[in-house]
Amino acid sequence: MREKYDIVVVGAGPAGSMAARAAAQEGAKVLMFDKRRELGVPVQCGEALNEDVLKELDIRLDPRWALSKTNAAKLVSPSGIEVRIAERKVVGKIGYILDRKIFDKHLTTLAAKGGADIMVGTLVDGLILEDGKPKGVRARGANGRLEVRAEVIIAADGVGSRVARWAGLNTYLKLDDIETGVQFQMVGINFESPSMMEYYFGSKIAPGGYCWVFPKGEDMANVGLGILGSRAERRPIEYLRDFVARMPSLSKGKIIEINAGGVPVGGPIKQTVKDNLLVVGDAARQVNALTGGGIDSAMRAGNIAGEVAAKAVAGGDTSEKRLSEYEKRWRELMGKRLERYLKAKNVLVSLTDDDLDRLAKALSEVKFDKISLTDMLRVLIKAHPKLFWKLKGLM
Amino acid sequence: MSVKVNAGACILCGACSGVCPVNAVEVSVIEVHILDDCTECGLCAKVCPMGAIVVERKV
Repeated sequence: MREKYDIVVVGAGPAGSMAARAAAQEGAKVLMFDKRRELGVPVQCGEALNEDVLKELDIRLDPRWALSKTNAAKLVSPSGIEVRIAERKVVGKIGYILDRKIFDKHLTTLAAKGGADIMVGTLVDGLILEDGKPKGVRARGANGRLEVRAEVIIAADGVGSRVARWAGLNTYLKLDDIETGVQFQMVGINFESPSMMEYYFGSKIAPGGYCWVFPKGEDMANVGLGILGSRAERRPIEYLRDFVARMPSLSKGKIIEINAGGVPVGGPIKQTVKDNLLVVGDAARQVNALTGGGIDSAMRAGNIAGEVAAKAVAGGDTSEKRLSEYEKRWRELMGKRLERYLKAKNVLVSLTDDDLDRLAKALSEVKFDKISLTDMLRVLIKAHPKLFWKLKGLM
Repeated sequence: MSVKVNAGACILCGACSGVCPVNAVEVSVIEVHILDDCTECGLCAKVCPMGAIVVERKV
């Protein structure tokens, strides 16, 4: 390890690892910190990922972390009406349920092989600020206290997101901007198909969110839920216990792991760049607000951030202005999409259980072999004209 | 400090730190520290998925 690096990355999740890999491949001297002694643990995630980001970022699929392939979804309304979607035909994608404990380590391995130094078990607990500008990080861990100077800091410190705040950026989440989730990894359960992701809606079972069953093989699945704390009357884990107990297919299963976490669903932060500092992934709230999925956007944003940071260092200019190339590029790539998902989420959480039932009934009568989202909305509005005003924003 | 974290229930997810309006929650590898800047607003307790944070208010 050196005393000075070109780039320090804080947090070795998917965003951090992709940033560290990209920066190292551009020739920068990179050090990535993580407070955890074991990367990928604790899991804070439903572990679902679309395949396209893997291809885009040249990550070869590996059955050690891609546990099951999904190509269909079942949505279940509060009163139990089922809507089945062949995902491939509707959104043109297939996905995987991951083992994040292996996947995250794999991504960090790619960063390390690309040339980045890695320091685990070390918590970054402050920035070195000079004239208000970040010049490095302070950290503590197995090797005691240390300071490392760097030209650029990449804040990839997840939902907690403290690093960006020390640099003056606003990553504070309001209660309505965070879904809190709990998940059981369960064995000995039944589900319809290992390639089908199941979603259950209703204010009684998951206020402001949904329950999920994501298969991880023949008789294993992630069973979890995310809810809005502002609407919940009880703790997430109590809702999840109730959900499992109510479902005959799950109630006899055994829980072999408990995960929990917060998912930022209020849309990306307004500004992700400062002098000498970039923010990526959950820390920048780059999350699909509708599904709560954030691995893909974290990886894409991290990749851009690493590349831009390395080029900025090589060019001797790491000002906010120079680094704003990152902000521009990630917004071009996914800004509109994330905005649309945020709107859709806001519509979804405004619907009553009765609205959801009516929508599900209308959708369940449609053949979903080939249908666009606009067609789907038309069906919905025809079935339930009063919803027009709520759905209008999505057209 | 009257914000208490039950280490046995805490799962170190960091949601508390995400909502803390004064950046006063530090999630280390083994525990959650409530720092001196804490204003005891209680948001961390509301958001905790495990119900591991309790704000004890003095009457």
